[in-house]
Amino acid sequence: MNDMTRPVLDPPYFYPDYRSTTLRAPKLPLIELPADALDIPGPLVPRAFVHAKENDLTAHGKGAPLGEKMVLAGRLLDDAGRPIRDALVEIWQANASGRYDHPGDTHDAPLDPNFKGIGRAVTDAEGWYRFVTVKPGSYPWQNHPFAWRPQHIHFSLLGNAPVQRLITQMYFPGDPLLAIDPVFNSVPERAARSRMVSTLHLETGIEGIALGYRFDIVLAGAKSTPLGI
Amino acid sequence: MAERTPSQTIGPFFHEALRWRDGGKVAFAERGERVVLRGRILDGAGDPVGDAMVETWQLSPAGATPAGAARASNPHGFARVETAKDGTFRIETLMPGGEAPFLDVAIFARGLLKALRTRVYLAPEARARTDPQLGPLAQSPRLKTLVAEPAGPSEYRWEVRLQGGDETVFFAF
Repeated sequence: MNDMTRPVLDPPYFYPDYRSTTLRAPKLPLIELPADALDIPGPLVPRAFVHAKENDLTAHGKGAPLGEKMVLAGRLLDDAGRPIRDALVEIWQANASGRYDHPGDTHDAPLDPNFKGIGRAVTDAEGWYRFVTVKPGSYPWQNHPFAWRPQHIHFSLLGNAPVQRLITQMYFPGDPLLAIDPVFNSVPERAARSRMVSTLHLETGIEGIALGYRFDIVLAGAKSTPLGI
Repeated sequence: MAERTPSQTIGPFFHEALRWRDGGKVAFAERGERVVLRGRILDGAGDPVGDAMVETWQLSPAGATPAGAARASNPHGFARVETAKDGTFRIETLMPGGEAPFLDVAIFARGLLKALRTRVYLAPEARARTDPQLGPLAQSPRLKTLVAEPAGPSEYRWEVRLQGGDETVFFAF
């Protein structure tokens, strides 16, 4: 952690362009613990924790949701390139109009009765996950005048050790809002930012029905490999 | 080698997506001493952080890695809760084994571009200071920010300050 030659991966806690960091970022130095202090294997997520259909965000209503239907698939890997299996992947997103089905979202865009914007999956033996959803819309937020978030899907990953816990956001290629989004640009290195952008991949889609995107996610390697469940 | 994916904020709209049934009641394969942790998170202005998510991970009552859960149970040894508008949260668990029992804590919130990692000791400060993992922190006056106060039978209170003079200790990871 003290190796200054190591490239900086994550955003800093204090990032003034993202206003909400101002009163929430710690100001005192972070403390180093021995690496193994945070590397107890687990938690182990039972496969039955998630139902197979929870990965289809378009199947939660009486009819089909509005918007551009898409399949989003990818692999969860550790930094040695090994698949992370039995990891819990939870996603949430705005609907095609840019509105979250959440009481805190006051954006003047319509809710979609056929879209909750919530999905879950557990990775398979090769680390794969797959969701069927619609492309989320952009939406305005209060960070600065005329601020709009780029289209994104929130990802929560719970791997096989505490070092494999990550919450991130997945973006779309070619979105013009990426260049001016403070949340995206809080990640200091361009190469690292590019790893949050999905790739258009037609064959991942469903022919004649859904567009395909690929998004692989890489987490830290766990020292210990838990036993299978 | 593969390059890691960076962290981003959880944002304000995670609640329904990440809410687990009984997320604040930690399941284990074994029995043990029931304890309740009541926490509160405050920001640099002393205002409650009412839109955070808190996760804890811990050893079993026997001091071992929690065993795998059966069927559709929540993962053993692991809690996930939201803070209420007043910044409070409540976790009901079993006392972890060991001389200086603690919960490993991760805090996510709007305005946190990366999770905060900390821990809370459910033991007197003098015992927490014997934890060999702490290194120089064991001698620091700041260690008291990681020690929960007993608050009645089997109950502990812990205040987390994200920023300021009495800021909680957070760990690099």
